[in-house]
Amino acid sequence: MSVEQVERELARLRMDEDGTPGLRASVLNLVTVTDEESAGEVTRIVSKLAGRFPCRAIVMISDTEEQDANLDIRVSAFCDVQGGTGSQVCAEQVEIHAEGPPAHHLMSLAGPLLLPDLPVFLWYPGPFTPNLPEFSSMADLADRIVVNSAAASDSGVCLQELSELAQDTSMPAVGDLQWVGLSPWRSLVTALFDPPDRREELEQIHRVEILHDSRGESRALLLAGWLASTLGWRPESARDNDGAREFVFDGPSGEITVALDPGSEDASLRRVRLYGRELSFQVSRHRELTEAMSTVMRGEELLGERTVQLGFFDQDIILGEELRFRGRDESYAAALRTVAEMLEL
Amino acid sequence: MPETLQQNVLRDEQRLPAVPDPGVVVIFGASGDLTARKLVPALYDLAQGRRLPMEFAVVGISRTPMSHDEFRQKLRKGLDEQRAGSVSEDVWESFSKGLFYLPGDSKKPETYEELKAFLQQLDEERGTGGNRVYYLSSSPSLFSTIVERLGEAGMSQEEEGSGYARLVIEKPFGRDLESAKELNGDILRYFREKQIYRIDHYLGKETVQNILALRFSNGIFEPIWNQHYVDHVQITVAEDIGVGTRGAFYEEAGALRDIVQNHVMQVLCLTAMEPPVAFDADSLREEKVKVLKAVRPIPEDEVGEYAVRGQYDGGWVFGEEVKGYREEGNVAPDSETETYVALKLLVDNWRWAGVPFYVRAGKRMPKKSTEIAIQFHKTPHTPFSGPDTRGLEPNVLVIRVQPEEGVSMKIGAKVPGSGFEVRSVNMDLLYGSAFMEEAPDAYQRLLLDLMLGDPTLFIRADEAEGAWEILQPVMESWSKDGHSARYAAGTWGPDEAAALLGHDGREWRRP
Ligand SMILES: NC(=O)c1ccc[n+]([C@@H]2O[C@H](COP(=O)([O-])OP(=O)(O)OC[C@H]3O[C@@H](n4cnc5c(N)ncnc54)[C@H](OP(=O)(O)O)[C@@H]3O)[C@@H](O)[C@H]2O)c1
Repeated sequence: MSVEQVERELARLRMDEDGTPGLRASVLNLVTVTDEESAGEVTRIVSKLAGRFPCRAIVMISDTEEQDANLDIRVSAFCDVQGGTGSQVCAEQVEIHAEGPPAHHLMSLAGPLLLPDLPVFLWYPGPFTPNLPEFSSMADLADRIVVNSAAASDSGVCLQELSELAQDTSMPAVGDLQWVGLSPWRSLVTALFDPPDRREELEQIHRVEILHDSRGESRALLLAGWLASTLGWRPESARDNDGAREFVFDGPSGEITVALDPGSEDASLRRVRLYGRELSFQVSRHRELTEAMSTVMRGEELLGERTVQLGFFDQDIILGEELRFRGRDESYAAALRTVAEMLEL
Repeated sequence: MPETLQQNVLRDEQRLPAVPDPGVVVIFGASGDLTARKLVPALYDLAQGRRLPMEFAVVGISRTPMSHDEFRQKLRKGLDEQRAGSVSEDVWESFSKGLFYLPGDSKKPETYEELKAFLQQLDEERGTGGNRVYYLSSSPSLFSTIVERLGEAGMSQEEEGSGYARLVIEKPFGRDLESAKELNGDILRYFREKQIYRIDHYLGKETVQNILALRFSNGIFEPIWNQHYVDHVQITVAEDIGVGTRGAFYEEAGALRDIVQNHVMQVLCLTAMEPPVAFDADSLREEKVKVLKAVRPIPEDEVGEYAVRGQYDGGWVFGEEVKGYREEGNVAPDSETETYVALKLLVDNWRWAGVPFYVRAGKRMPKKSTEIAIQFHKTPHTPFSGPDTRGLEPNVLVIRVQPEEGVSMKIGAKVPGSGFEVRSVNMDLLYGSAFMEEAPDAYQRLLLDLMLGDPTLFIRADEAEGAWEILQPVMESWSKDGHSARYAAGTWGPDEAAALLGHDGREWRRP
């Protein structure tokens, strides 16, 4: 298929029943690089995204190991019919299978298919490293790179690489779905210190405990990195007991220990506890996991408590959150820098 | 104080949504319809979505005797009706612990002493930090009394370090210029303008806010948004429903007070205003007030040439036979209350000199629709021959607010084939559907804004009065001679309304 054929086919798919071309409202380009196994999942996410982010998705499935050149292009459109009015919102998807030599030149395939005038998000749903062969040329096309630091086999290494990438101003801004997933937690932890009389406690935090599971390692590290970077804690030393890690920081009011316990059984991030001078604070996922409970205690005395929705954790919603954000995320970059320092200890 | 103590350094303003400070919302009129149907569900949504502080409480006041628990149960019932199937037991359990009820008559000073003590207790027990929102959702006849009682009890003051005291006034804000002025005077005796939040829930609608986005974030519209290019403007706020169970209320109000004074005037302001310097409360409201001031007063003896009122008879709306207004419940059989209003307004300023704004609002119209149509001038000259341009009409830009948000533009295009026949083609972009986020309910947005202390989307004293002032001659003339023109339900209003434009050689659009 040529570029013209792809465009014509997409226009045909958007056609209304009476044969007139449906007007297209689009807000962005989404380019993803993935493999054969994950392609189905990516397609599912794009189709669910269509309602909120009508976009052109270019899904690239590449196999550089193959010797023979092979190129296969398929197009589809996912349309959501809006409440009763019959008007459609569509996401267009171009799926490109490239094997052999073309797989080394993905940019030449993606570039001409981008919708003009709209931002380009480059999304790596799978393991990501900036050393991927096509990455630097694809990054040239992109306005923003979206990765999932938990998909890497070693999320520590991934976070370290991301930290460098985030500091490289010649590169587009970087976003991480794990960081997005952390936002509700950050909101809830932040809210614990909104009453003015709690600020002093925040300065006096001396111990933090984070309970996570293996999938949640990168989130747990980012949470620790965020707290440390915003509260001015400098990483001093690290200990590893059977996977349970402990980091010691030097902060404005003394030493702080952050313990990461990978013993969670049912959630990537299960609970975070912060110990101040007189009060202790906790945010933990509720029985049903869709909710989270925050509590404030003085010793055994319960001072405050509430339950809210933690948010929805479908991939398409998390990705959608990330697609709303433009520009460089300073807190994320700062958290990453601290994580990198922690991991170097 | 070190910086970390002044503000919560964890707050990431770039990425995390703003959350109000701890506080209490006191609702006067807590046993009423609005509380159960709108206010509490909106607060619940905010709580569920982590948009409320942990230290938060609602205190409801009305005369009906109820315990805290009965109040909670009543509100839960309302919530289940409004948010069927999406209420989380755990979130409700935690949210409802912050709902309290104080039975009391808002006319009696004792009620306020009791309230004051209760609020202090909440500050201690729930850490609500002395911040209070007083939400007046009881009948408008009580607004002044409640404000006075609050003031006398010393509850309207914001002292250094004592937290905020904000007053929210539901519509209607007065029933004419004089009563609005009186109400403003009554309120301003105890509260400063900065503390006052007058609600027009239309401004809380995402789609109404989008009028501003469309006008002021797109460079291509502003240069032609004036008398050089615009022939006239039509603003329509049409409802397909009748008065339903609100007959008694409507008999007192009528379309002019219920819709035109607030919603229509707001849409007019947003359409006609100059670009504000910033999107903040004062800049925006300043510009809106300038529009209201520029509207040419309608001479009382010429009201007939500028204003039309109508009342629906029985008819058919979308395949359903419906009653006439006079047959509705709690409506006088000889009622002349208007259910339809059309006005011709002129905005006497540099931008709009000579451009009429035709506005209309009505019930039992063929469909629900809110839109602004900017009708441009005809081209000064066409090179195409007469017969070729028969299907060509001047450009129209329509901003549709509801039901399907979007813009459409009528442009001339060549009909395929030989010759040079040109026709009008409608380009229709539903930009609303470009972001199919479910837009938050207007009350959610407004409650959040007021707790965050942002009055941009609320009405200022001079705005409320300015809108009444424009309508004053119409109300006076109508009160002297009480006849509403008839129109059949399911039509676009009485013939007299068509004549209002016909007189100027124009026609109403069909939305
Ligand atoms: N409902 C809506 O959809 C809607 C829409 C827009 C604006 N509004 C405005 O919102 C306000 C409330 O409307 P609504 O429909 O909720 O009215 P409503 O159902 O009639 O409620 C009025 C409330 O005021 C209380 N009340 C009356 N006299 C009182 C007194 N002396 N002391 C204490 N409480 C008293 C009533 O409770 P008790 O009888 O128990 O005392 C009741 O809770 C009005 O200003 C209305 O114009 C309503």
